[in-house]
Amino acid sequence: MKKKLALLMCLAMLATSVIGCSGGNGETTSGGETSAAGETTAAADGATGHKDTLIIGTDVDINNLDLQAQQDQINNIVLKNTHQALVWFTNEGEFEPGLATSWENVDDTHIKFTLRDDVYFNDGNKTPMTAEDVKFTLDMAMESVSAPNLAGFVSCTVDGDYEFTIETESYNNEFVQSLASQNLAIQSKKAYEDGVEDPYYIGTGPYKFDSWVQGEYCRLTKVEDYWGATTDQEVPDWAAPGVAETIDFKPYVEASSRVIALQAGEIDVCVNPPINELPFLEEDPNITVYEQAGSRLFYFAFNVTKEPWDNQTLRQAVACAIDRDSVLQAAVEGKGTLQTTILNRGLWGFYDDMEGFDYDVERAKELMAEAGYPDGGITTTLTYANSSPYESIATIIQANLAEIGITVTLSPCEDATLKSTCVNGDQELFLWRWNEDSKVDFVYRDLFYTGSGSNYHHYSDARADELTDLVATEKDPDKRLEYAQELQTYLVDACPQVPLYIANLVIAYNSNLQGQYFYGGGNHYWAHAYIAE
Amino acid sequence: MIKYIVKRLLQLIPVIIVTSFLIYWAMNLTSGDPALLIAGDKATPEMLEQIREEMGLNDPFLVRYGRYMLGMIQGDMGESYITGKDVFQTFMETLPNTLMLGGAAVLIAVIIALPLGIYTAIHQSTWKDNVGMVFALFGTAMPNFWLGLMLILLFSLKLGWFPSGGKAGFSSVVLPAVTVGYGLAALIMRTTRSSMLDVIRQDYMTTARAKGCSERQVIFRHGLKNALIPIITAIGMQISMIMTGSVLAETVFSWPGIGRLVNDSIARRDNEMVTGAIIMCSICMCLINLVVDLVYAFFDPRIKAQYAKKG
Amino acid sequence: MAKKANTVSTNNDVIKSRSQFQEVFHRLLKNKGAVIGMIFLLVLVIIALISPLAFDYETQVIGQNMADRLQGPSAAHWFGTDEYGRDLFARIMWGSRYSLIIGFGAVTIGLVVGTILGAIAGFKGGIWDQLIMRFIDIFYSIPNIMIAVVIVSVLGTSTVNLVIALSFSAATGFCRVVRAAVMTVRDQEYVESSYAMGLPTWKIIAKHILPNCLSPIIVQYTLQVGTTIISASSLSFLGIGVPAPAPEWGALLSGGRSRMRDASYLCVLPGLAILFTVLALNLLGDGLRDALDPKLKK
Repeated sequence: MKKKLALLMCLAMLATSVIGCSGGNGETTSGGETSAAGETTAAADGATGHKDTLIIGTDVDINNLDLQAQQDQINNIVLKNTHQALVWFTNEGEFEPGLATSWENVDDTHIKFTLRDDVYFNDGNKTPMTAEDVKFTLDMAMESVSAPNLAGFVSCTVDGDYEFTIETESYNNEFVQSLASQNLAIQSKKAYEDGVEDPYYIGTGPYKFDSWVQGEYCRLTKVEDYWGATTDQEVPDWAAPGVAETIDFKPYVEASSRVIALQAGEIDVCVNPPINELPFLEEDPNITVYEQAGSRLFYFAFNVTKEPWDNQTLRQAVACAIDRDSVLQAAVEGKGTLQTTILNRGLWGFYDDMEGFDYDVERAKELMAEAGYPDGGITTTLTYANSSPYESIATIIQANLAEIGITVTLSPCEDATLKSTCVNGDQELFLWRWNEDSKVDFVYRDLFYTGSGSNYHHYSDARADELTDLVATEKDPDKRLEYAQELQTYLVDACPQVPLYIANLVIAYNSNLQGQYFYGGGNHYWAHAYIAE
Repeated sequence: MIKYIVKRLLQLIPVIIVTSFLIYWAMNLTSGDPALLIAGDKATPEMLEQIREEMGLNDPFLVRYGRYMLGMIQGDMGESYITGKDVFQTFMETLPNTLMLGGAAVLIAVIIALPLGIYTAIHQSTWKDNVGMVFALFGTAMPNFWLGLMLILLFSLKLGWFPSGGKAGFSSVVLPAVTVGYGLAALIMRTTRSSMLDVIRQDYMTTARAKGCSERQVIFRHGLKNALIPIITAIGMQISMIMTGSVLAETVFSWPGIGRLVNDSIARRDNEMVTGAIIMCSICMCLINLVVDLVYAFFDPRIKAQYAKKG
Repeated sequence: MAKKANTVSTNNDVIKSRSQFQEVFHRLLKNKGAVIGMIFLLVLVIIALISPLAFDYETQVIGQNMADRLQGPSAAHWFGTDEYGRDLFARIMWGSRYSLIIGFGAVTIGLVVGTILGAIAGFKGGIWDQLIMRFIDIFYSIPNIMIAVVIVSVLGTSTVNLVIALSFSAATGFCRVVRAAVMTVRDQEYVESSYAMGLPTWKIIAKHILPNCLSPIIVQYTLQVGTTIISASSLSFLGIGVPAPAPEWGALLSGGRSRMRDASYLCVLPGLAILFTVLALNLLGDGLRDALDPKLKK
């Protein structure tokens, strides 16, 4: 029966495509009864001139919407629309009054705040938001995974319905800034005390939580009697009422699918489109590709406690051997900025004028010799997360280091394994990123301070620690800036990490999108965005 | 019959115990601390310790497993470390998506494969037969995630007929279902062809023809009905393949199903979710197999009689 | 193939078995599909063997050339270049080594483990049979890929661990096949007689029972290698296969996935490599099945 089969092999290759097509036609009629899922097509609302629904295609799954029990950017982007913080952080790096209208330092360790008196929760009863809620929220945060966002907090004292005082351990230049983090947005004390189911969903924002099906979508609906719409006082821009009736966040984890979904009109916004597909989006008249400088720093780093990487000169040799232009090209097609310092661009005191270590194989070889490895001969392992863009970065660096006689074995692993390995100090070389757009202390202290949990370099240096403390507490701005620059120069020279590049923020969306508010760090604010018609 | 069903259901118990132990144990061995993922980038060592304490991660493995099983006996499969949601509830929310995908895949496979199998059997050893067999060979040799990518390339990118991913209505299920269904169609087609070949030569077929039935009637009324049992067996045997195919197709097409749930949960070291979901998966697969067995009985009274005797 | 059939045949019937082998081989040669499959596999093995001579691993297979990145297929680069400017032709040719080693390696481990378990279950019966088969059933009730993902998560990503993870599902298949075959041979007279002669159990299994279960094992082996190559590429696709920069086919495919729109050949060509290899294995497997058991052939 199969005798003639062999003769048909060549024909077969042609035939598959034909059969494949007819197969595709067959399904159109066959799948009918299996698909009953609700289709989310936005019904046009001619009167208001905008679509009812705004659909945002995200690159990762939302995983937890309990404000203080999570630390992920994607969750915070959703929650930004439903909950509001005491301090508002603008996309130009300024801190402005949020739910708190003003604050002043009473002394080094006490800050007195005044709240808006016209804010109420979206719990259906218009329960007013008071200083009690603030105290409740902050106290609760100290017991949760959000506590590091509130480092230095001692207590909160309620001075009146709309006044409270926060005591801190010591004076810190950036304490008030901490209050802008989304995890510390104000929640309703009453909701928790009344035993409402999932009380963390109740906030004061222009949108409220509607439904969330994991892996599928998360839907927010506009609050009709939102405080910002009913108050007779002046409302700042960030607190204006929403426009679109609903905002859907839909995860399209596969990057190409997300782009195609945008082109097909299934979604209105494509977060983090793959760089190599931008040309297709740019030629599409209905789509706008927006690009601006970002703040996400990708770096290559050493575990400085592991031989031979405890040798500073050797680390510098490696830094000189890395062709960062190629890294930038391979990782994001050049859509980013090469970086010399360890601080995220845009943060206060950013200083990039030190000499640093540019790509220079000759210098690298000299430094290798100086470090005691004239012929290389080092074998080591590079650990990184098995996701984009680390794979590309690792591939380039592996080839670079081979040139100076360092044999690198690549060890891609899942995030969880990477973090454990790094925390335990079992890694030798690693790739990681740091995304911080508001507080410099969250860079210096978290990454380089002795004993910090996220100091994966296991770097410990008395001078660096001292400078970190000085930057945090020095009140004279000029002196503080001096310290900040000295610290950055010092850390670059010590070379526990080799900063590679800062990725640009790239986002693609329906050209009719209005009211968007982008942050270089990716924490976009969608509450006023809509699709105009 | 009922006795038989009960017996089969009782056999699930050791499956659950062994599966849960193995998976829980394996997840326990994986490097990667869930506390680190929960606490985020800014975690302090004290905070990690506190989280581990709260989640009971510091207890010895057997204590944790014991606690897990104790919960399970009471019908509580625990909560996800990451989302804090109930494991069983999350599974049940996701299951319909996978069933929808799997169901559509089987449907597509049957719709393509059955007629093709019969057709090739009737035209045995002609070029038509050979083309059909090549179709089947390609189906079994093709990595189905690759097929998925090729379908996206052709039908989403070039032609723009179907969405390339996500779950949004009818059209979005087509490509993932074809992806899962093609391999299955190939198997069903081969089985249909060979069991039709068996049947075609039987005496009752000749009798039917002699009685003056049209060829169409002979094939469908007499031939197909008798050829169905091996075909159903073939589908039943491939439940595991459908699940495996779904894991990949769900990744390619961003389809929110069980496969992606398990895969993501493993990556996040969400032990409770992984164990719970895999146990539920194997229970589902056992149940589907049971249903398949019962369907045989429906089509073949001889097997039914056997059950009655055994039970 | 030839070697295998000869080594397992027992001394006293060498002549008979050789003729039997020749007969099988003769039948196999008449099946054109199987012949094509065999030729393809032979070519592939040759490619795998000579690719270290034809290409330099350090410069041509993993060596980067950013100036030449993403060049479409041309005379200089038959299959084009990838995003690091590496020649895809060299990578696919070299990748055959990985796919073949992983495929045959995992299935061979699975064959050994599965055969031992299956032989014990089939021969001893009773409680052994119950225990082993229940265990195998449980593995059957979890989708293979989930088992593999869990195992790789436990062991970490490397080629060896990938082989181990894949050998599990191969072993369950062999266990079933061998058990069924052993059970049919177990009660034959010649087995009983050697029992009576006082041969130890393992010798009876190795000398008398397994050689007689050879046909289903050979067929299962050929088909399983194909399945395993697909599974290996699936795991690479999920990001837990062979680590970069090794040019395993699944890894090539996974890397090319994000370039589907602007450089679709990066995704299409490695896929075709997998497709044709597995196709060849399946053709050979089907051919072997027919040749080994003429009764099945209608």
